[in-house]
Amino acid sequence: MRALYRSSRFVTSTLRPLLYESYRFGTLLPLIGGECSFCSHSREKSREGALDLSQYPPERIRNFSIIAHVDHGKSTLADRLLELTGTIKKGHGQPQYLDKLQVERERGITVKAQTATMFFRHKFQQHEATEKENAPNFLLNLIDTPGHVDFSYEVSRSLAACQGVLLVVDAAQGVQAQTVANFYLAFESNLAIIPVINKIDQPTADPDRVKAQLKSLFDLDPNHALLTSAKTGQGLEHVLPSVIDRIPAPPGKCDSPLRMLLLDSYYDEYKGVICHVAVVDGALCKGDKIASSATGHVYEVSDIGIMHPELTPTGVLLTGQVGYIVSGMRSTAEARVGDTLHQAKSTVLPLPGFKPAKHMVFSGLYPADGSDFDALNHAIERLICNDASVSVTKETSTALGMGFRCGFLGLLHMDVFHQRLEQEYGAKVLSTIPTVPYIFEYSDGSKVKVQNPAALASNPGKSVTACWEPSVIATIILPCEYVGPVITLCSERRGDQLEYSFIESQRVLMKYQLPLREIVVDFYNELKSITSGYASFDYEDAEYQKSDLVKLDILLNGQAVDAMATIVHNLKAQRVGRELVDKLKKFIDRQMFEISIQAAIGSRIIARETISAMRKNVLSKCYGGDVTRKRKLLEKQKEGKKRMKRVGSVDIPQEAFHELLKVSKE
Amino acid sequence: MPRATPAPLQLLFPPISLPLKYKPQPISHLTFVRSSIPCPPAVYRNSSTDYPHITTPLPPPSSIYIHLPFCRRRCHYCDFPIIALGSSSSHYDDDPRINTYIRLLLREIRATKPYSSLQLPIKTIFFGGGTPSLVPPRLIASVLDTIRTKFGEVAADVEVSMEMDPGTFDAGRLEEMVGVVGVTRISLGVQAFQDELLRECGRAHGRREVDEAIELVNSSHGLRSWSLDLISSLPRQTEEMWEESLRLAVSAGPQHVSVYDLQVEEGTKFALLYTPGEFPLPAEAQSANFYVMASETLKLAGYEHYEISSYCKPGHECMHNITYWQNEPFYGFGLGSASYINGVRFSRPRRLKQYEEFVKDLEAGNMSAKSNASIVEDKEMAMDVVMLSLRTAKGLDLKSFQRSFGESVVLSLCRAWRPHVESGHVVALDEERKAISIGKFDLELNGDCQLGRRVAFLRLSDPEGFLMSNELIAVAFGVLSP
Ligand SMILES: Nc1nc2c(ncn2[C@@H]2O[C@H](COP(=O)(O)OP(=O)(O)OP(=O)(O)O)[C@@H](O)[C@H]2O)c(=O)[nH]1
Ligand SMILES: [Mg+2]
Repeated sequence: MRALYRSSRFVTSTLRPLLYESYRFGTLLPLIGGECSFCSHSREKSREGALDLSQYPPERIRNFSIIAHVDHGKSTLADRLLELTGTIKKGHGQPQYLDKLQVERERGITVKAQTATMFFRHKFQQHEATEKENAPNFLLNLIDTPGHVDFSYEVSRSLAACQGVLLVVDAAQGVQAQTVANFYLAFESNLAIIPVINKIDQPTADPDRVKAQLKSLFDLDPNHALLTSAKTGQGLEHVLPSVIDRIPAPPGKCDSPLRMLLLDSYYDEYKGVICHVAVVDGALCKGDKIASSATGHVYEVSDIGIMHPELTPTGVLLTGQVGYIVSGMRSTAEARVGDTLHQAKSTVLPLPGFKPAKHMVFSGLYPADGSDFDALNHAIERLICNDASVSVTKETSTALGMGFRCGFLGLLHMDVFHQRLEQEYGAKVLSTIPTVPYIFEYSDGSKVKVQNPAALASNPGKSVTACWEPSVIATIILPCEYVGPVITLCSERRGDQLEYSFIESQRVLMKYQLPLREIVVDFYNELKSITSGYASFDYEDAEYQKSDLVKLDILLNGQAVDAMATIVHNLKAQRVGRELVDKLKKFIDRQMFEISIQAAIGSRIIARETISAMRKNVLSKCYGGDVTRKRKLLEKQKEGKKRMKRVGSVDIPQEAFHELLKVSKE
Repeated sequence: MPRATPAPLQLLFPPISLPLKYKPQPISHLTFVRSSIPCPPAVYRNSSTDYPHITTPLPPPSSIYIHLPFCRRRCHYCDFPIIALGSSSSHYDDDPRINTYIRLLLREIRATKPYSSLQLPIKTIFFGGGTPSLVPPRLIASVLDTIRTKFGEVAADVEVSMEMDPGTFDAGRLEEMVGVVGVTRISLGVQAFQDELLRECGRAHGRREVDEAIELVNSSHGLRSWSLDLISSLPRQTEEMWEESLRLAVSAGPQHVSVYDLQVEEGTKFALLYTPGEFPLPAEAQSANFYVMASETLKLAGYEHYEISSYCKPGHECMHNITYWQNEPFYGFGLGSASYINGVRFSRPRRLKQYEEFVKDLEAGNMSAKSNASIVEDKEMAMDVVMLSLRTAKGLDLKSFQRSFGESVVLSLCRAWRPHVESGHVVALDEERKAISIGKFDLELNGDCQLGRRVAFLRLSDPEGFLMSNELIAVAFGVLSP
């Protein structure tokens, strides 16, 4: 009954005065001068650019994220807000402006949180009359976040730079699994939550139903919900005023030494590493020397500014502001997300930082198409500068040569990482069957954590006394008519039901504890297909569970192929072995000799197929001396060989490896 | 061999400008040794990418291919540039299309600049098609006359081959071709001895014409040898039929037999109807079996399997085809024909209209950018040598190959082929052409004794290696062009 437990906790804090920060307004004003003494040349610097950030003390700043279930319209809402504030021109640029990556545009999803700074004029309180007539008087930082469960790490990092969120809910779909998950992320970080019921233009929109869900699930006051259509623009005028009125200003101290949180980083060919930072306390100017709490390294800030929405130099960043810095860092080993940066001359207490990313699936990445290791190495180094949530260690496979073992937040994350390697860095990659991290314990008391099944000895010489596999707590929200098949699916996947509750008369929320392995591949697709797409699904990691696991080897002509080894549940080994062997038989071409394909547990063969030898491959006629044509034909054949990986004497087409990825559903 | 004098760097045929690397050397350095595999005479340095500069002109061609594209109709497997005359008339001797084409062909020959002043006597001429036997003998004679005018008197023992189809000639026409025109070798396109198979391929002849043609050819005097051509793996061909075809071929008594394995080429009627390996085409194992049957039957009957698809009684090799397999230069004339002159390969247009334009350009001397010529790079040259020599029973001459392309390539080639030497698909031979065991091969490969001391040739085994030739050559290409 976790949700209920959480909800009851929520009730106690729901009355947190949303406006209380703004009442501190007056007391902070005198501090602006003090801040400038800390950073004496900030005014000149800022005059360089058109933007003078010193006009925006913390009480004139709001930092907020847009969070929601997948596709509920976060990025589209962000577009509208950027247009409304004149940050981007209406009708210019593509929709979902902040989805800049090619993979985001192709897949229509956000995978990376993006920040944009906007300026907005708002009559805040009566005593504002003294302000110049039309100057924008608020600086707003918007962070658009991904909705997919794999990228919830991006959401939690984004929230660290915010004091509030827009919790967007599709007016027709209502609360979905990631709505719940993201709500709790915001709630547990004590952020102000503004519910936004979006897509009210849809014919099936039912805002009242959604309001009732928000009330019953999260105890959010239905009267506080905003109704919008990011498509038609309806209701949008209330969004930013609500942000200003209901989200507190950043709480940092202008007169304290600089402390800033490194939120994210990416690599630019010309500038090197660009860091996104949130200035929590104090101020930073171009030319300042800063130090990393994590490494102690000192850097000089060579460029500094805000994302407006592109990099816009400002010369300074002040308390409560979110922006970027360029400081001569060369790699993510230096730019550690979650690190606290401070003035080199002072010492500070580091900020809490982030929980390290939890890697759910691991797979090997190897150079493909005859490309070399160095090229892949370079590409991966560059990309992890832009995606800090991947873990990378070198590994070697007898079948595939030198490569990397990478940890990902989920399969979509893995796919996106591959796609980015190929699209943005031109790398050609071959990936091995993804696996989850298992733990094996041996009779001598030793325990090993296995991220690569190949590393587990097939005949270790000592007996395995216990094994554990990671599990997750999955939340599934679905219309009640689909409950039967979903329960069947979950028990097939070895799940234990933890919770079953109605969130409204026809909708059910179920919680299951499931082995991670069971949901990593294909679970979501299966779920969607048996519920006609009406179920939503989210999960968070839970503890390891005891399990009965075996290592499944694939042997070609009697020789184990390390890159094809998997760890599976004992009861499913037979089926998986059969499927793997069948897949390989389909994808390995006949060669000049017979090939036997076997699946084995230790020395026990559980499935076997043979591919008969190729009998003939000859162009008997070489007509009229047209040698060039024939040479080209054979060159093509040679190129085909280059796309093969040779294991022992057997050539395996790369497609075979790709196909194996699909089998691992157990 | 005559000592070459440096040829003036005039534009050869086709006239495209030559790269600097073909610059002739001073006379004293120019000793052109014609090895059995002509390779660029300079030594290839010990690196796989850095090929040497070839500093001498390549030898002049002494072979000519002439394409005569006319057929009664297109066979269902054929994708050659042909002109189908239609089966309605049985007499084509005054067909204006043939006359016009031959005139164009003669213009092409005349407009061609000879390779150099030191043109050697022509040794082989091959009339291919199409169905050359459809062309009236007097027109063939005019082609030969033009060749003599252009390239000088041909060699006394010149081989003049002509492809002839059953049903396209009678005793008189044959006598004229052989006795008057000077054809010395006939390649008879029998293809199959079964009426149902001949019909299936859309051939214009039947079994009766086959028997008649064999009798005519056998009773003709003045032919030095003739070849009987067969196709295996035809749709609905059974083992019994193939066995019968081989038996009848042997009893027809040709000095030469060609056995082509049916290739389903893109754009042909067969490609539309059938998928290789699937009924009614024989399964791959069956078609491999056909190949093995041919090799065994014909060897037993006293034929040497001297090339993947060619068998002959001793001394009756097709000299013209040997030109190709030894990577020697040759002229090519006519629609769609290929030539290889001084390191330049060129394919003529496959359509009549464009071919006519090409001839006009050639006459006008402006063969500019649109010409479809390519200089064979050294790397490609090495690939050609490997690809072509491995078709033959003689195989790849490692010493000569090493002289041209360097020792390291030879070593890498041996390494790459080692598993296939072990499996018996590739045979390593010594100078005396005795097979070398894998153990000794390994010793030479790994030991410090210099490679090439014992292993003198590498050839594909017959029939298993020949059957896998594409695969094995592709492995070699991986070494030559990584
Ligand atoms: N009818 C209607 N469609 C909308 C509205 N807002 C967004 N959409 C559409 O909903 C789809 C998803 O919108 P996005 O803005 O990409 O959603 P998102 O929440 O950013 O998605 P993720 O980043 O993948 O989680 C797009 O096709 C939008 O055009 C709306 O108010 N009304
Ligand atoms: Mg989005």
